[in-house]
Amino acid sequence: MRIDSIPKLEKWRKKCQREYNSRKRKIFVCLGEACLANGSAEVYDEFKKELKKRKLSDVQVESAIKTGCHGFCALGPLVIIEPEGTFYTKVKVKNVAEIVEKTIKNHEVIDRLLYKDKKTKERIAEYGKIPFYEKQQRISLRNVGTIDPYKISDYIAVGGYTALSKALTDMSPKQVIDEVSKSKLRGRGGGGFSTGRKWATCAKVDDEPRYVICNGDEGDPGAFMDRTTMGSDPHSVLEGMILCAFGIGSTQGYIYVREEYPLAVVTLQNAIDEARDSGILGDNILGTDFCFDIKINRGGGAFVCGESSALMKSIAGEVGEPRAKYVRSVVKGLNDKPTVLNNVETFATIPVIIDKGAKWFAKIGTKTSTGTKVFSLAGKINNTGLVEVPMGISLREIVYDIGGGIPKGRKFKAVQTGGPSGGCLPAEKLDLKVDFDSLTEAGSMMGSGGMIIMDDRTCMVEIARYFLSFLVQESCGKCVPCREGLYQLHKICAKICEGQGTMEDIELMEKMSLTIQKASLCGLGQSGPNPLLSTLMYFKDEFITHVKDKKCPAGVCRDLIKFVITDDCTGCMACIKVCPVDAITGEKKKIHILDQELCTQCGSCFDICKFDSIEIK
Amino acid sequence: MVLIQINGKMVKAHEGEMVLSVLRREGIEVPALCDHQALEPGGSCRLCMVEITKADWDGWTKNVTSCLYPVEEGLIVSTHSEGVLEIRRNILDMLLARCPNSDVIQKLAEEHGVMKTSFDTLPDSDNCIMCYACTRVCEVLGKSAISAVMRGHKKVIASPFGDAPPDCIGCLSCAHICPTNVILWKDENGKRTIWNKSFDLITCKKCGKETISREFADYLLEQRDIPADYFETCDDCKRMELAFKMGGLVDGAEEVAI
Amino acid sequence: MKFRYKVIPSLCIGCRTCELACAFTHAKDKKPGRSRIYPIAYKKDKYVPVVCLQCDDAACVKSCLFDALKRNEETGAIELNIDRCVKCEACVAACPFGCALVDDVHDEVIKCDICEGTPACVQFCPTKALVYEKI
Repeated sequence: MRIDSIPKLEKWRKKCQREYNSRKRKIFVCLGEACLANGSAEVYDEFKKELKKRKLSDVQVESAIKTGCHGFCALGPLVIIEPEGTFYTKVKVKNVAEIVEKTIKNHEVIDRLLYKDKKTKERIAEYGKIPFYEKQQRISLRNVGTIDPYKISDYIAVGGYTALSKALTDMSPKQVIDEVSKSKLRGRGGGGFSTGRKWATCAKVDDEPRYVICNGDEGDPGAFMDRTTMGSDPHSVLEGMILCAFGIGSTQGYIYVREEYPLAVVTLQNAIDEARDSGILGDNILGTDFCFDIKINRGGGAFVCGESSALMKSIAGEVGEPRAKYVRSVVKGLNDKPTVLNNVETFATIPVIIDKGAKWFAKIGTKTSTGTKVFSLAGKINNTGLVEVPMGISLREIVYDIGGGIPKGRKFKAVQTGGPSGGCLPAEKLDLKVDFDSLTEAGSMMGSGGMIIMDDRTCMVEIARYFLSFLVQESCGKCVPCREGLYQLHKICAKICEGQGTMEDIELMEKMSLTIQKASLCGLGQSGPNPLLSTLMYFKDEFITHVKDKKCPAGVCRDLIKFVITDDCTGCMACIKVCPVDAITGEKKKIHILDQELCTQCGSCFDICKFDSIEIK
Repeated sequence: MVLIQINGKMVKAHEGEMVLSVLRREGIEVPALCDHQALEPGGSCRLCMVEITKADWDGWTKNVTSCLYPVEEGLIVSTHSEGVLEIRRNILDMLLARCPNSDVIQKLAEEHGVMKTSFDTLPDSDNCIMCYACTRVCEVLGKSAISAVMRGHKKVIASPFGDAPPDCIGCLSCAHICPTNVILWKDENGKRTIWNKSFDLITCKKCGKETISREFADYLLEQRDIPADYFETCDDCKRMELAFKMGGLVDGAEEVAI
Repeated sequence: MKFRYKVIPSLCIGCRTCELACAFTHAKDKKPGRSRIYPIAYKKDKYVPVVCLQCDDAACVKSCLFDALKRNEETGAIELNIDRCVKCEACVAACPFGCALVDDVHDEVIKCDICEGTPACVQFCPTKALVYEKI
C-alpha cells in the first residue's frame, strides 16, 4: 500500500495501533544473535507449535513475535510475556510447554525461570524492575525488543515516522538542521563531532548531489550496539537518514553494513523494501516533492573501513584505504561530492530529537555531551549486554549497578573503553563521569561505546599486546608510522610478555607511540597507541615487574609464571585428568605432584581445581 | 597568490598549491620518498611532515604532510622544528628496521642522525618502503598492472595472483620511479623481463640496438597519434638519417632553418 | 618576442666545440653530461650539426604519458621537466630524429632546451654555423 499524503499516514497509524494493541497477550522471544546462539530460534518454533497444538490462537494469545535484542545477552534466550512484563531468562525448549500452560493459560509466574538478583538473591518478575533495566534510559534503543523489526506497521504503531511527517509538514530543511544543532547531539561513532554542525556545513556546500551515509561497519571487538539497532529497529535508522537527507537536500543514501552482520542486512533490506512500498522512501515521499532512496553496501570486514574516508572508497568500489587529503568529507566525500556520514546510533536518535524537540533532548546528559549513550558491556562482568544510559553517569554505576559487578567476587581492575583505539581506565577512575570529554581527558575515548571489564586476573601488558596485535592485523598498511610502528610496538610488547624486555624498551615504546599518534595518516593509526599509552600511564608498575622481576603479577603471561600444587590438595585427581601433557601425577586422596619440566603453563589444572589448591607463582 | 610564512620568511605561493611544492621552489630540503611530480601526492612515507600554525590559532600547532596540505593565506610553516625532526627521525628509524640494506634509507637516516635502528630489523627485507610510487605511476599510465595486496605489515606490491601481470607493457616506469630501487628487471638477448613477464624488445632495423618493448610501443601508438615507423629505428641511427637528409638539402641550398 | 634556432651546415667544420659546450653547460654534480648536439659527417669533410628541431607537432610531446615535455613559449624550446620524468624512454623511441636521448652519466633522459634562451653551443661555435636569432 502506497501512502501518498501525510493525513493518510496518520490514518494508517491508527489502524496499525489498533492492530498492535489488539494483541492482548504477547510472547516476545529474543532473536538477537546472542540469544540465537543459545537456541532461541528453537524456543520460538516450539512456542508456535505449542500455541497451535493448544489452539490458543483464537483465545488470547496472538503468537510469539519475532523481536530484536533486549540487550541482556548474558541470560539468553530471553522470553517476555506482555502486557504483564514477565521476564524469563535462559529459557529452553523443554520449558515452553510449562510456560504456555502456567503463565499463558493460568497467569502463573514460574519462579525458577525469573531473573535472580545477585545482591539481594530475590527473584524479580517484572522486566522494568530489574536493576539492569532500571537505571537505563532508552532513546536510541527505544523500540528494540518491543516491536517486530520485520513489520513497518509495528514501527508506525509506536509512533514511528511521526518525526518525518512533522518535518515534512511544519519544518523547513534548515529548521531540521537547527533542531539537531540545538540538541547538541554529538556523533556516536567515536569522534564526537557535533552532528548539527556537520549537517549545516554539508548543506552549505555548493555542489550536487549530496550523499547521506550510515556507518554500520561496527568493528570494535566487544561492541554490538549498532548490530542490535539495525537488526531490531531498522526503521528508526532509516527515519534518521531520511530526516538528514531532507535537511541537507540529498537524494541518495547508503548504509554500509559489515558482512559479518547477515541478520542486520536482512532486516534492513526488508525495512527498505517495506518503506519504499509504503511511499516513505523513494520518489515523492508521502506525496511531497522530496525524493530519497537508500542502498545497502556490504563491507568486507576490514576494520579500517569503519574510518569514514576508507568507507567511502569502499562504497565507490575502490580498495578500502583512508584518503590522505586534508579535505573534509562533508565537502568532498563519496565520489568527491558533499557527504554526511553518521553512525547507526546517531541516526537512530534523530527521530526522537525531531519528535520531542531539541530542548527535551539537551536536558538529558551533561552540558557538553547531551543525551544518552549505548554501551556494550563485555568481559569480566556479570550482566554482559547492551545498556543505554544518560551521559555523565559514573563508570561505577555502569559496572556495579547495571553490570552487576565482577563475577566470582573478584576485584575490578580496569575497564577498556572505546575499542582498540581507546584505553584502559583503572579502579581510581571508577567515579569518572562518562562523557566524550572526560574520557578523552583520562586517556581513553568514547569510541563506539564498547566496554570491556577486566578483573585482577587480567595482565595489563598482555591486554596492551592483544590490542596492538589486533591493530597490526587491521592496519591498512598505507602509511609508515601505523604499519611499521604498531608492528614494532607489538613485537616489543610480546617480548616483555615473554620476560625478554628491558627498561629501554618501555622508553622506546613511549617515544614511538607519540610519533605514531602525530604522524599517522588516519584515525586508526593516530589512536592506535592509545591502549598501550593508557596502560603505561596507569599500570606502569606491571610493565616494570615484567621487565625487572620477570614476573606477571596477574598470573597470565605463560613464560613468567609457574603453577604449584599446595598442601591443600585433596587428591581428587581432577587436574590429572585435565592436564594435556600429563605433567601431574599422583594417587587418590594424596597430594598430587606437578612436574615443572613438562608443564606448559596452560592453566587447565588451575581452572578445574575446586579447592584453590593450585597457585600461580 | 597567497602569502605564507616558512621558517620565519614570507613567501608567495600559488592558490591551490601544496606546501611541499613551495618548499621545493624555495630550495628548502625536506625528505619525501613517496613524492614525485608526475604523480598525485600519496602521503604514505610521512617524511615531509611539517608543523603548521596560524596567527589566530593561539599557539596551537598541527603536524601535517606538506605534500598534501594546500597553502592558505597566513599559514605559518616550520620545516625543521624539534618536534618535526623528532617525527622524521623516528619514521626513519622505523624504515631502517624494515629496509636495513637499502643505501637510500641508510643515507637519509644518517643525514638525520639515525645511525642504527632501535628495533629488530626485518629478516630478508626486500627494501620496499611501500610508498606506492610504482602502483601510482602504473595507474597514471592507464594500466594498473600491479597493486598493493594484503593488509598492514604484510602488505606487498604484487601482480594479480603473483602471475605475470596481463596488463604490464614492460615500460619500466615502476622500476625507474622506485625510490629504493627494489623492482628488478633484465634486458637480455632482445628480451626484457620484469614482474615475471617477458617482452620482446624492438631492435633497431639498421644497427640492431635494443630500444623499448614492443608492447609499450603498441600502447603508445594506441594512445597517441604517432607514425608507427618512428619506433623502428634507434636514436643514434635516426640522428644519422637526419644528417644525411639535411646534407642532401644543404648541397642545394646554403642554410637550413628549423 | 619569438626566436629561432638555426644551423648552417655549410659553415660547420666538425670541430665538436658545440658538443663540449653542451656537455659542460649541462654538467651536474661537477660531472659533464652527455651532449644534446652532434656534428655528423654526411660525406667526407661535410658536416651537419644534428640537434633537436623543436618540432611544431612534436612526437616527443605526444608520446609522453606524464606531460613532462612542454614548450617554453619564450625560447621556443620544448623543455623536459626532469621532476615529472619517469624515464620510460617513450620520447627517445618516438623522436624521429633521435634528438631525445639517454644520458648514461646522470641516468636521465635529456633533450635540447636551448639553455633557457642562451644556447651555449651558439656562443662557442667558432664558425657561426649555429645561430639563435629573433624573428
